[in-house]
Amino acid sequence: MTLNLKFLVVDDSAVMRKVIISALENKMGILPTNVIQAVDGVEAVEKAAQNDDITAILMDWNMPNKLGIDALRDIRATGNKTPVIMVTTEGEKTNVVLAIQSGANNYVVKPFNADDLCAKIKQSCGMAVPA
Amino acid sequence: MTATQAQALDAKMVNAISSSVMEVLSSMANTNVTLKSVNARTDYTPIGDISAIIGIMGESGEGMVGLCFNSPLAKMMVARLLGIEPADLSDDDCCDGIGELVNMISGRSKTALSENTGQPFRMSLPTIIKGKGHEIASRPKNTPYLLMFFDAEGQEFVLQVSFKFSN
Repeated sequence: MTLNLKFLVVDDSAVMRKVIISALENKMGILPTNVIQAVDGVEAVEKAAQNDDITAILMDWNMPNKLGIDALRDIRATGNKTPVIMVTTEGEKTNVVLAIQSGANNYVVKPFNADDLCAKIKQSCGMAVPA
Repeated sequence: MTATQAQALDAKMVNAISSSVMEVLSSMANTNVTLKSVNARTDYTPIGDISAIIGIMGESGEGMVGLCFNSPLAKMMVARLLGIEPADLSDDDCCDGIGELVNMISGRSKTALSENTGQPFRMSLPTIIKGKGHEIASRPKNTPYLLMFFDAEGQEFVLQVSFKFSN
């Protein structure tokens, strides 16, 4: 089944964006054409503002130009309530707390399992998660 | 920090880093990895075709994690990460993928370091070095370092970690 959902994938690594897009396609039936990509926090803020039909944003933390945590704050400062899931190597509890306090809806630490990633996306978007 | 605490931390860090390498490469690149040996040889310089280096810094100290791969092994792991054949992998994606794998390994190592010391650390973006048979010769001066030799399905790669505490 192909779901008509739209995602914004933010990561400075082209390979990681491909890995995430592949997980969305294989585990959730999301067409790659329904995924917008951003290579840093600056582009993430721009694309989040330009697209008001995004289902969820998957946000890396460590990126050039603007960190994911700062992009998250900027997105929330505009009143944008789109679910944001941090997908990052930053595994410290203090950073998880910081991200949630800054407006993140969920947190996935790399390396991740595609099933876990998609379960957290569904959870954040209020979609049914298989037991 | 006492000498005993520092020594214990070293042992914890070796375990944390080797576990990180094995877990990241196993889960993301579907590659079986085993730790062959750990030593602090000063007369050995890792040689490889693709290397990735990430700096780790904080108030407690600073250091780096670097991994050195031969080209066929780097291509095999990144191709597996993407679920494609090595022959279909572009050079750009190979370098980017190695950087991302090392980013994940360093991230887990940084988390372990933070939890062991109770201090926050930051991580630089990965620097990728590409060139057949290059050497990673430079290390921070007067900084203790370790070489960790891994086997990945019959091919060897080397992880170099150095860290110097401020006090």
